[in-house]
Amino acid sequence: MARVVVPVEVLEGETVSAGLVGLLAPADVTVLGYHVVPEQTTPEQMQAQFGERATEALEDLTEEFRSAGATADYRLVFTHDRDQSVERIVDELAADAVTTTGTTGTVERLLVSLTGDVAVGRITAFVESIAANRPIEVTLLAATAEEAADPGRIDAAAEALAAADVDVVAVTAVDDSPLNALVDAVPGHDAIVMGERAPSLSSILLGDFSERVAAATVGPVLVVQAPDPDSEVGPADDDSPE
Amino acid sequence: MTEPGRDATGGSPESTEESAPHGETDPDDVAETDEATYTKEGELERTIGLTGGLSIGIGTMIGAGIFVFPGIAAGEAGPAAAASFAIGAVVALLVALPASELGTAMPRSGGGYYFISRGLGTLAGSVVGLSLWLGLVFASAFYLVGFGYYAIDSLAEVGIVVDAAFVVPIALLFGAGLTVLNVTGTENAAKLQNGVVALLLSLLVVFLGAGIADAVGLTGQSSPPETFAPFGTLPIVTTAALVFTSYLGFAQVATVAGEMKAPGRNLPLAMVGSVVIVGVLYVVTVFVATSAFGSNRLATLGETAMVEVGRHYLGAAGAIAILFGGLLATVSSANASILSTSRAVYAVSRDGVIPEWASRINLRFGTPHVALGLAGGPILLLTATGQVTVLAEVASFLHLVMYGLLCVALLALRRNEPDWYDPSFRVPGYPAVPVLGAIGSFGMIAFMQLASQLIGLGIMLATAGWYGYYARDVELKGVL
Repeated sequence: MARVVVPVEVLEGETVSAGLVGLLAPADVTVLGYHVVPEQTTPEQMQAQFGERATEALEDLTEEFRSAGATADYRLVFTHDRDQSVERIVDELAADAVTTTGTTGTVERLLVSLTGDVAVGRITAFVESIAANRPIEVTLLAATAEEAADPGRIDAAAEALAAADVDVVAVTAVDDSPLNALVDAVPGHDAIVMGERAPSLSSILLGDFSERVAAATVGPVLVVQAPDPDSEVGPADDDSPE
Repeated sequence: MTEPGRDATGGSPESTEESAPHGETDPDDVAETDEATYTKEGELERTIGLTGGLSIGIGTMIGAGIFVFPGIAAGEAGPAAAASFAIGAVVALLVALPASELGTAMPRSGGGYYFISRGLGTLAGSVVGLSLWLGLVFASAFYLVGFGYYAIDSLAEVGIVVDAAFVVPIALLFGAGLTVLNVTGTENAAKLQNGVVALLLSLLVVFLGAGIADAVGLTGQSSPPETFAPFGTLPIVTTAALVFTSYLGFAQVATVAGEMKAPGRNLPLAMVGSVVIVGVLYVVTVFVATSAFGSNRLATLGETAMVEVGRHYLGAAGAIAILFGGLLATVSSANASILSTSRAVYAVSRDGVIPEWASRINLRFGTPHVALGLAGGPILLLTATGQVTVLAEVASFLHLVMYGLLCVALLALRRNEPDWYDPSFRVPGYPAVPVLGAIGSFGMIAFMQLASQLIGLGIMLATAGWYGYYARDVELKGVL
């Protein structure tokens, strides 16, 4: 079962869309309720005052996932730094993916991007675990330039998914940038799955690639984590030598 | 409770039950790692690294010792003021080491208050907790008045001559501004603070480098030699007591112990490191300042003497750099102290020493507006007095009491170690270091002006009175 972390800024009233709850029904979900505490305040103080309220909201959210069929629990974190907390929990749980909450109805069409130096084996394994034998059409997307460099990568991935009873089509996109290619392919899809990328100059200057994708779409964006060197031997280790 | 009726009206119904506050201090409910604190209810992320810790320590301290005191200190002790600063550094180090051990054993919010209330019981803890709050208030007021002097001089430098009577109004304006910013601001000021500290350090290295080159005769004309201690040895010690305010800050690092990553390593490094860094800078600064002018001339230049020292070595650019540095440093010290005050207020309110509403947070800004108000209000009152030396000494007095008791708390805990006491850093040279630290801290108080001693003593008696009136039923010793 794929482990998915769903960070939710719980005291700010953020919730999870019904479509995402449905999509993650076959998964092991951890709802990560977080609250960013300004530095004038100790996280302990914030928890003493608002912990109970946050816990109630988290219990409700977790229950939603459970009634959809998922295995679900929650964590609550008070932090000065959201990203640090999400990263720590993802590492602790050895989670397969992290998702934004997004807005979507029932997920019928899923866009899966193989763009970039990502762990293709982990992405397909994750997609298989949530989309196999379900009425979900999967579009596999890769940029043409990359396919030229590594021919057959996307087809092999599509074949593996099809063999596992995933309803899949493979598409290669011709565009100037991987981000545009991905964003252009979004219309008609309800949610996006992509791989975690190593930090690069553009991610430092412009923000994380997945954050930029999330900003350009309204649906949930599920980011499959790169293999962690010191935990778990990822499923069918693949072409990203890390 | 002295007024049984008050409990019924809900004034402070919880102070009696607070003996095991919210279960947060039960060892079974709390697990600590280098990255987070796991409580029964949730997780508290540790986000402040070594740089952040050093920046809190240095940022709090540097404003006073370099930019406000050199002129005043040289006037009282002559070139031997450098020795006064060195004495202060040694005492601060003797306290920083025990404070580090206690901090790694109890990496929780509240710093000195927390250690003393757990090591020596509630009376000592309450007196220290409330004195720490007021001590920080005095220190902030002192930094703000220093800022006022720099603001006046900066205006003069750009051609706007303002009467010295405006020092206090300007200080008040900025004090109010900082308080409001802290209540409403959700920007990440920590990164700004790190930048300010880095900028100040590089500015000082350039300035002091030029000053040393000149003072030892490498460049410029050699300065006339002056008697090292023209007023004898006693003024060296009384000046050390006065300028000790320059070292209030290293223990503020411990107030964020609960938010520090890998506290076992970073807390001792940040506390000891910040004392060593500022101590060296202070001694060199006084040496350079007294080499530039005689100490008599420095004394007449007062709070902003360093500006003229800067002008002496580096011309107008030097004067402007010191003015700019002085403005930044005094504001950064005042701001860091206001932040520490709000944590000090939280720590005593969590334990029921003062009412719980004092640490209430508003969800709109996520800031403790009451605690920040309890910092800002008294700060403005004290700033209005404009008394630099008394403000500085009372601030030192109240901190030194905490430092001394902190050493005593370490001795008490070590003599009869509770099960939970497991510090990852242990004081080298035990028991000499904490014993000397306690003697040094209490000794400093003995050399202050009578007025400061009386005010400090009065405040302590008032806090003890508050304890008797409000918090007598709170029981904390040995609880973690």
